Amino acid sequence: MYIYIYDEYVNHKKYEHLLGQIETRITDLGLNGKIVRLGIMKSIQDSVSTEIRNGAKTIIAVGNDKTINQTVHSIINFQKSHNTKTEIFFGIIPVGEKNNLIAKALGIKEWKEACEILSGRRVETIDIGQANDNYFLAQAEICGQGTMLKINKHYSIEITEPGKIHIINLSLYPNNLPHNTKSSPQDGILELYIQTKKHSLIKFNSQINQSFFSFQKLTIFNKHTSLLVDNSINMPAPININVLKKRLNIIVGKKRKF
Amino acid sequence: MFNKKNENFEKADTIIGQAIKVKGNFNGHGNVIVEGIIEGNLKTSGSVVINDKAKIFANVDAKSAKIGGEINGNVKITNHLQIMSSAKIVGDIECSSISIEQGAIINGKCVMASEQKHVTHNTEHN
Repeated sequence: MYIYIYDEYVNHKKYEHLLGQIETRITDLGLNGKIVRLGIMKSIQDSVSTEIRNGAKTIIAVGNDKTINQTVHSIINFQKSHNTKTEIFFGIIPVGEKNNLIAKALGIKEWKEACEILSGRRVETIDIGQANDNYFLAQAEICGQGTMLKINKHYSIEITEPGKIHIINLSLYPNNLPHNTKSSPQDGILELYIQTKKHSLIKFNSQINQSFFSFQKLTIFNKHTSLLVDNSINMPAPININVLKKRLNIIVGKKRKF
Repeated sequence: MFNKKNENFEKADTIIGQAIKVKGNFNGHGNVIVEGIIEGNLKTSGSVVINDKAKIFANVDAKSAKIGGEINGNVKITNHLQIMSSAKIVGDIECSSISIEQGAIINGKCVMASEQKHVTHNTEHN
């Protein structure tokens, strides 16, 4: 049974016509199911838990990066708290222009393509990142200044120039990574990518330095800045990060970035 | 600019960039490029490139290595060790084959593992 989770913001009048088009297309493709509209009185965690208990097998997030993050979090949280590995398939229909980087990285550019991809049902099993009690599908970011990292409890990393730290499961910007490195959400490890900038007195002559590590466990310390998870959730440090291997069955497009 | 620097490997598993200081023992499984500072042992089953601005204050243990930076510690390489003119090594070296460019500074013993020893070692494992 298909369950469509509509984020609260898509209930805005400006998306009314678009949602109508989506519903018509999914009916044409024989993918119709139950629609769950999130709101002040209806939390995503409760909705997802209820639907899984009632036998939902395919859950589709209709919204943006935050909707995807929260839906994935709810599915994994349910499986963990009930100690079950019920086979759930997760799909995405992006709505709106902004904050849909995760859908793009999975090869889903817009809603029409998303409906075809759901119909095609190309499933990949991917790893999921865990940051304290939150789960993330794609990546997390924090400012490099004042941040200390401890990898696998063996060694620590200090960053001496201003820059940004990315913790990657599914890369949202794969072209930014050093050309001879590789990142995949199916390799059982997470990647740490650090980009720093050394400023020069001569304008436009600043030097960019890149660092790249692989890890399974990482601790982040920073008293002043928070970690941005999946382009949507802010978390204060200290944060313990680890990987849950092959944890989510996800319906992806042909043009996915892994 | 960065990509040019990393022409050394088809695939780099770890890159320790110029603005990075690693404290503790680094144990890797693949190819490692060092441009920053490591205060601890560096051990990998793959190859290592230590660029001219890199500094390592401990031992290096790898399959093969190209050294252009500074090492204060022993260097143990299973296969070939290439020492560039900018390299400065204060410590003992152990490897199977070596090439040293003019200008490199080495203060320490250099021991070459004999071919005979390798043959015996491989036979024992087979």
